[in-house]
Amino acid sequence: MPVKPSEITPEKVYKRRRTLIAAGLGILAVPALSKGYGLLQQTQEEEDLPFPSVSAQPNRLSQPLEPTPYETVTGYNNYYEFGYSKDDPARAAKTLITSPWSVELGGEGADKPGIYDIAEVKGEHAIENHVYRFRCVEAWSMVIPWNGIKLADVIKAAAPNSKAKFVRFTTLNDPQQMPNADWADGPYVEGLTIEEAMNPLTLLATGIYDQSLEQQNGAPIRLVVPWKYGFKYAKSIVKIELVEQMPQNTWWLQNKREYGFYANVNPQFDHPRWTQATERVIGELGRKPTLLYNGYADEVGHMYPDLDNRLYYY
Amino acid sequence: MPISTRKHLLNIALFLVLVWGIYDAIMGPDLVSELRDFTGRYGAYLLLISLLFTPLSQRWNWVKRNLSMRRNIGVWGFIYATVHLLIWITLEFYYDWELMLDEIAGNLFILLGIFAFILLLPLAITSNHRALKRFGYRKWQMLHTLTYIAVPAVISHHFMAQKSDTLEPLLMGFVLVLVFVWRYRHAR
Repeated sequence: MPVKPSEITPEKVYKRRRTLIAAGLGILAVPALSKGYGLLQQTQEEEDLPFPSVSAQPNRLSQPLEPTPYETVTGYNNYYEFGYSKDDPARAAKTLITSPWSVELGGEGADKPGIYDIAEVKGEHAIENHVYRFRCVEAWSMVIPWNGIKLADVIKAAAPNSKAKFVRFTTLNDPQQMPNADWADGPYVEGLTIEEAMNPLTLLATGIYDQSLEQQNGAPIRLVVPWKYGFKYAKSIVKIELVEQMPQNTWWLQNKREYGFYANVNPQFDHPRWTQATERVIGELGRKPTLLYNGYADEVGHMYPDLDNRLYYY
Repeated sequence: MPISTRKHLLNIALFLVLVWGIYDAIMGPDLVSELRDFTGRYGAYLLLISLLFTPLSQRWNWVKRNLSMRRNIGVWGFIYATVHLLIWITLEFYYDWELMLDEIAGNLFILLGIFAFILLLPLAITSNHRALKRFGYRKWQMLHTLTYIAVPAVISHHFMAQKSDTLEPLLMGFVLVLVFVWRYRHAR
């Protein structure tokens, strides 16, 4: 069938269309350009990381906060080993066997390394209750009533020596039990400075709401560091090492521009792709201002002498 | 089944998908992010699908027979995008315009999303027979080639919003590039 003259797009029009198509392709390249620009600016991470001095003790530990409902805390999770969606872990993590469970304590900084059974550890140390704000790097937050032991107590039991400058946490990585175990090409690793680890705010949580942790929340034992972004809270920990070198944490390895080692909450330093000045409180409408160190500045501010150094705040 | 009936069924189906998404979000732990992400994601799917009609209709007759559904899909993509934006304005920012402006200024991906929405707005308004008649086919078509700017912006927005799992927006971008290559070669 011959093409009717009216159906033929005039040359002027199709040339314009080609221009638009080219422009559209250009817009598709925006994320790549944006990332490239960021990489050009990336210099700080390559420098040697300073090691904050050990000093001062905190004062107030728990604040009156309205806890987020249990169903929300156990239904809205980031646990990529069980899937990328917030509701994946609650569904997929149920099969994770968390008892018996042992944690290996070691590293060159530990004079008394050992393998500890969780049940024993829970019995040896006082279980404390702390209601902490939880601030995710994705700019949402919750309030969680944790039950757990002080990480400091566990570290003291390992008799740290002068090589214990950092603490490295390794979490379970079992493809048999975790459908998305290989998302980061290896086990999830997190780290703290020894001073951060010894801070009384820092917990190894074993429960919330006076109930044992559910799998999607990192059962049977997970890290809690309330002044840092949520990705620091390593879940289902199997190994704790006292080490001399700064651990290379998983999210830093994933994207060195967007996620660092310290990851202290600071509303002044935006994530490269979104603002950290405010946060969405899960279960509430609107947003509220984010607090420096997630509201724990009195307890932890002394560890970070330079408030303008992005190194501490991403 | 006549095309008008098929279109009605399509409209009902896409309406029900939206209702299902809202229901699912209400039942979940965090209404705001689930509703926001659901409408954004499905809006992007629909807009991308609307661009596939022309290339695929050259190959498959059944696509050709349903070619006029393209408009319904595109308009529904816009409706999903509108709900997405309204959730952001109401539930997420609760009409805090100052904060929203800060967020837009500091975030390229949100800027891209707003940009795409602004481009889609006139297209959605003119996605009816009366507008087509009023403009005349050529002018109308010229206006609607703006989708070639808007949809890349939507997919870039989707890509940049991801924390780590970028497979889906990358695949969508790949499909879009295929559409563009086809379009470029067949532009007459």
